[in-house]
Amino acid sequence: MIETESCDSKTDEELVELSLRNSDHFFCLSKRYEEKLLRYIIRISKFSREDAEDVLQEVFIKTYYNLNGFDSDLKFSSWIYRIAHNEAVSAIRKKVVRPTIYLDETDLEKFGDVFDMVKDVDNSIDRKMIDIALSNLDEKYREVLVLRFLDEKDYTEIADILKKPVSTVGNLILRGKKLFRLEYEKLIGVTV
Amino acid sequence: MGNKNISQIAMDRIKEDRIVPISRNIFSIKRVLFWVVVATSFIVGAFIFSFVLYALFNNDWYLYDRLGLSLVFRTLPYFWILSLAIFTILGEFYYRKTLLGHRRGLVVIVSIYLVSTTLFGSIFYAIGFGDLVERSLSDVSPMYRSIVLNHREVWSHPEEGLLSGRIIFINENEIQIVDSNGYFWIINREGTLIRGNVEIEIGDRIKIIGSKVNDNLFRAEEIRPWFGRGINNRNVVIMH
Repeated sequence: MIETESCDSKTDEELVELSLRNSDHFFCLSKRYEEKLLRYIIRISKFSREDAEDVLQEVFIKTYYNLNGFDSDLKFSSWIYRIAHNEAVSAIRKKVVRPTIYLDETDLEKFGDVFDMVKDVDNSIDRKMIDIALSNLDEKYREVLVLRFLDEKDYTEIADILKKPVSTVGNLILRGKKLFRLEYEKLIGVTV
Repeated sequence: MGNKNISQIAMDRIKEDRIVPISRNIFSIKRVLFWVVVATSFIVGAFIFSFVLYALFNNDWYLYDRLGLSLVFRTLPYFWILSLAIFTILGEFYYRKTLLGHRRGLVVIVSIYLVSTTLFGSIFYAIGFGDLVERSLSDVSPMYRSIVLNHREVWSHPEEGLLSGRIIFINENEIQIVDSNGYFWIINREGTLIRGNVEIEIGDRIKIIGSKVNDNLFRAEEIRPWFGRGINNRNVVIMH
């Protein structure tokens, strides 16, 4: 097995080429994205960690199986996120559960910064409200907000992951932010 | 992070199940095919636009005084306009399936497609492509021009003074024709203006402007060739 340290200096695209010659190099790629994708899958599906790990396994296997389909005109991260997104959506449908968002401490801070939210209230209540507010949003807004503010993807990357026009992504983010704020304020108002 | 090493498990499965990546050629062929469909729909679209231009430029606009706005609705090249719409949708659909095609919005893609087909279609029309294809198709299929340009409908209203048909008999003062519905007509051609390349030969197809006298007699004021506007070359007035 390839040591991941030896892959650190290599770009994703270089690792793709190496993986196609020797599958062991794919370990470096999957390791590089393991944590990010696991968090992403959990965020958009609210699966348990175990379920999300199962989904992620499938993501890696599909990624490897389709590795020749990767085109360097696209960022590798966008490509693998797209596979993860499709796989997560497919898993959500199979489980017939309404996807909700799960946010951890770091996510909360990111959201707090972006939306300039109150941070001196009880953190757990705040988090719960954000969690509910996000979960109440329509899926199309929720997924762009997660990708933009939690996974910190730019508009083009989000467009590539969701296969939507860049202009549509921009509009969804703009509208999603407004709707999220309204939803959040409504919840805060109710609880106060 | 849990105890499980997901990457390691995935690697183990890849090795155990002997999973190998799908051949690069499969993806290349798929990509090329999408672009071929996009390019084809664009080229066909440009040709279609040249036919639309041909149809518009060769329409019987001189009938406007007689028919008014109904001429526009009766003679718009609906067949080609519909075809252009279908190829635009096809081009847009497959362009989206190309690697970066999803990045542009519907309006942008359709606008670019229409502007390009307009530009190239105009060039095709200018170099005579529309005319060439129209004439070729008309020669191959006599029904073509009638259906595509709605000519048959426009020229099948003797009560409005518009008649067309194929010449079956000629003498000094009369022409006999069979119209598109299979009816015989005797055309009185005294003092008739003959426009364009009308040869007045048996078997030719002609358009006649005039007035209906009775169910099989029509007084001609003007005879034009079926093909084209008949404003070029020679104009002859037959006086008897």
